[in-house]
Amino acid sequence: MRRSFLSLLLCVFLAGECAGLLALLSFSAIAQQDSKVVALPLKPKSVRFAAFGDNGTGGQEQYDVAQQMVRQRANFPFDFVLMLGDNIYGSDTAADFRRKFEDPYKPMLDAGVKFYASLGNHDNPNQRLYKPFNMDGKRYYSFRKENVEFFALDSTYMDPVQLAWVEKQLSASTAQWKICYFHHPLYSDGKFHGPDRDLRSRLEPLLAKGGVSVVLSGHEHFYERLKPQQGIYYFIIGNGGQLRYHDLKTSADVAKGFDTDRGFALFEIAGDDLYFQALSRTGEIVDSGIIQKAAPTTTP
Amino acid sequence: MNRCVVIAALGPLLMASIASAQVAPAPDSTAILKDFDMRLSAYVKVQHAAEADVQALRKTASAEEIAKRQSELAASLREHRPAKQGDIFTPEITGEFRRLVAITLKGPDAARVKKSLKSAEPVQLSLKVNDIYPDRAPRQSTPPTLLMNLPKLPPELEYRVVGRALILLDVKTGVLVDFIPDLIK
Repeated sequence: MRRSFLSLLLCVFLAGECAGLLALLSFSAIAQQDSKVVALPLKPKSVRFAAFGDNGTGGQEQYDVAQQMVRQRANFPFDFVLMLGDNIYGSDTAADFRRKFEDPYKPMLDAGVKFYASLGNHDNPNQRLYKPFNMDGKRYYSFRKENVEFFALDSTYMDPVQLAWVEKQLSASTAQWKICYFHHPLYSDGKFHGPDRDLRSRLEPLLAKGGVSVVLSGHEHFYERLKPQQGIYYFIIGNGGQLRYHDLKTSADVAKGFDTDRGFALFEIAGDDLYFQALSRTGEIVDSGIIQKAAPTTTP
Repeated sequence: MNRCVVIAALGPLLMASIASAQVAPAPDSTAILKDFDMRLSAYVKVQHAAEADVQALRKTASAEEIAKRQSELAASLREHRPAKQGDIFTPEITGEFRRLVAITLKGPDAARVKKSLKSAEPVQLSLKVNDIYPDRAPRQSTPPTLLMNLPKLPPELEYRVVGRALILLDVKTGVLVDFIPDLIK
């Protein structure tokens, strides 16, 4: 009797340890490899793109980031760029569009790289009509590349009509990967702004229900990758031209942060794997890793 | 026994709180909101007439053309509608909006909405009907919960928060159609 009780205790202990170990393994499979840089594998037919936000200053730093992107593209030929809002700061005359968009990104535009913009709080909503932003005249829209569907949202004005659109589009999408991008972060450890909690309360349940794996935002002028929240991987890449130096606070939710220079991020999606690298404008890799798409759970 | 007393005491309070969160209609609100809808419909007609007089905004690679046509449409709109504050937000409609916003800012979502408003880079602008929203001023994000509790707008118009004011903006031109000062407290 006593022996069987001890055996039972041992089984419970081992089961607990195994569960803990499994949890650890599954996390390490998706977490950033701190000790070494995870390379972008350049697999055949993979979806390759770059992303940045808060870029449209027209300042030298924006041009530096653009030049670094061109350098990186020589080794990692990405096809398109996601713009996370604040595309054109300040006035938006034709000269501003030249200085803050067309000139810095000219080598990429000339090479056929497409830019897909979302609107930030500093953007004139009529940017939706500017063809090089590929918004098709809409404040929010979606597009698909291979097995990935991208949803560009307008987080400055998330009205009930847009929320209904998000729910419907996500539900209708058959893409293996669903990636949303918009300006205001739902989670952030920035000292200046912080997260938009009301936006989070209305939007995040739709993203989780709709099977979104990754969300990219800007608004905060730094890079932050958060530990997964509600099964979603959140990135902030708001240092494409702006920088709020040392604005990141210490938090248990931060998986990786970088708030001392401008930068951008590169992504490659191949099958069940999403590879990412965040780079500074000098080309230093400040974060990298793999996110593996969880297999859909089946109910018996 | 004590627990029963507490529940009995809190019950009506909880019910009142739940009821207030659902934005119950005030006795006169149906008529007031009908009047609001009629004023919006009248605005949309004027907006379409103004649009018919100028070259339409369209998708183009020319930022210059977008700016030029936006400016022409705004001028046409001003010509068709020599408006003043209160043409849409009449005192009665303003009262109804104050009631609706107060419910949002006192209901169960209040703390979250207020925090969201505070972190939304509040903008201070001198407001004047028919002015164009300035390029240089950021657009303050409007909490979704607040938008959910306000009357629905036609696609030609949108609400925006500017500091403590609620403004009604023409979507295509950024022309300030009307506003309620000191609404968000």
